[in-house]
Amino acid sequence: MAALRLYSVGKAAHTVLNHAARPVAIAASRTFWKQVSPPDPSYEWRDMTDKAANTIFILEICKGLGITLSMLFKEPATLNYPFEKGPLSPRFRGEHCLRRYPSGEERCIACKLCEAICPAQAITIEAEPRADGSRRTTRYDIDMTKCIFCGFCQEACPVDAIVEGPNFEYSTETHEELLYNKEKLLDNGDRWEPEIAANLQADYLYR
Amino acid sequence: MMHLLICILINYLLVMVAMAFFTLLERKVLGYIQIRKGPNKVSLMGLPQPFADVIKLFTKEVSFPSSSNLYPFIFSPMMGLALALLFWSLYPYSSPLFFPMYGALLFLCISSLNVYATLIAGWASNSKYALLGAIRSIAQTISYEVSMALILLSALIILLSFNLILMTSSQWSSISLLLPPLFMIWFITTLAETNRTPFDLSEGESELVSGFNVEFSAGSFALIFMAEYTNILTMSLFTSVFFFGMIPLGIFTDIPLVLKTMFFAFLFIWVRGTLPRMRYDKLMNLAWKSFLPLSLSMMILSTSLIIII
Amino acid sequence: MTTSFYPVILATVIPPMVFAIAWILSNRPIPSMNKLSPYECGFDPKNNARLPFSLRFFLLAVLFLVFDIEIVLLMPIPLSLFLNPMSTLLETTISIIILMLGLIHEWNEGSLDWSS
Repeated sequence: MAALRLYSVGKAAHTVLNHAARPVAIAASRTFWKQVSPPDPSYEWRDMTDKAANTIFILEICKGLGITLSMLFKEPATLNYPFEKGPLSPRFRGEHCLRRYPSGEERCIACKLCEAICPAQAITIEAEPRADGSRRTTRYDIDMTKCIFCGFCQEACPVDAIVEGPNFEYSTETHEELLYNKEKLLDNGDRWEPEIAANLQADYLYR
Repeated sequence: MMHLLICILINYLLVMVAMAFFTLLERKVLGYIQIRKGPNKVSLMGLPQPFADVIKLFTKEVSFPSSSNLYPFIFSPMMGLALALLFWSLYPYSSPLFFPMYGALLFLCISSLNVYATLIAGWASNSKYALLGAIRSIAQTISYEVSMALILLSALIILLSFNLILMTSSQWSSISLLLPPLFMIWFITTLAETNRTPFDLSEGESELVSGFNVEFSAGSFALIFMAEYTNILTMSLFTSVFFFGMIPLGIFTDIPLVLKTMFFAFLFIWVRGTLPRMRYDKLMNLAWKSFLPLSLSMMILSTSLIIII
Repeated sequence: MTTSFYPVILATVIPPMVFAIAWILSNRPIPSMNKLSPYECGFDPKNNARLPFSLRFFLLAVLFLVFDIEIVLLMPIPLSLFLNPMSTLLETTISIIILMLGLIHEWNEGSLDWSS
């Protein structure tokens, strides 16, 4: 009996010590436990009848049907696409464009950084000095069917010449139409310049 | 003779039109349940969508797999639609063409014949997916057919008749109010009979691609789907005839009957929008271990009930 | 031929007509080996699809036959209840009890267990 009492005292002391030592303990001690598995079914008469009624009158399924019915009267989230379009981020990477300076001179200096970084090897550049001595491209091709739209080219470009504009509706009927050359890219740049400039302006803090 | 044929033809054609618009209703309702719009591009609010679908399906390229058995392959979809249409000669509206004494028996006969369309379609396409889908579908359908016949028999015992027209024109009692559990089992069984969503194991997109109709294309595929959707409408019609009798209103009896049928057809879609697919062994257990004993005991209950009354 | 066959005749005539319309309207296929082979998610089918399959489905069909025949025997109950209700009740109860015993036996044997 004495041993038992001693033991119980020891146990109490242990808990007290544990609680006292908790703020300085390294490993968290387990003085409590929590049941995570569902509790055992209750065999009270009341609970059993409740459960039986739930099963017989398929109440849970009826609740589910109620939820779907309420969804039926909700405003649909559909975007009526060709007529209304979703918002685009300024960083959206769409169709490629080659930009120009306000003077009309093309920005690209044929440094070939984009060609080097392109992981899909979609860009092909050939360059030679022009009559005025400046270095420009004679050929700037992007195979849009190879491009993976990673945006590395516009990040590599030191003069913001090649950018991925906000346009994403340029599907074509043939493969050949998607092999863009320099004229096509510059043309894109002229067409989308206001949007591109606005996007670059909106994002300048992070570039 | 000629005018009788024309009447039946009109009956069948209107059933097919109803079926076409039922597919549109299904797509719309499922769409709105999932917070999106259904088809809304074709003409006015997408209303002619079913006809566009039909034109598309009919002008698609027909292909008959080289390993399939050609004649059963062509025959089975036609048989499915023929059986689905044959149900509608029983349609008990207020001015019927026929007065079949044993309409309920004919209903049971045709619905058990429906298995064969699936069986032939799955076997004749000679493809593994089709065969697996067909076997599953047949096992499911025949399991539920046992309890379906028993449930229907319990209802008929209370109605004391096999005559569908008598039921709609003179029945004052509603079985679903008398025995609500019986009605619930019946509705679940019809879902299983028509291979609808909680029990659409014959489709099983995740493992069987498309079940017994993988190999079908164009016209044959259209026929299979017409049969399927006509069967849903049929089942909702007979549910409202057998289980939702109402006060007969003379020539206006048709209006509540049609409204009830539409409600049950909507319930089919609603359930599809709500419940996920069941596991196959649970499906079989539900049929054999739960519905069959229950419907057997329900039969004794209804027999004694009618004698007490 | 009685008039009650007319719906059957029309129901057997309409689907072939629908199919014929589809056949006339449809594009003619350009036959190719890949298009005409059974669909197996891109694999070439190696052997015949008509495999010997799980026996369980066969057993299920036999079980279904037994119960379906019992149902056929029970079918005339609604009509015989008119004639002599009490004896019909007795017979119904007896035959359903037999059916129930059969079901319990099958259950006990384990032929209703789908996954074992």
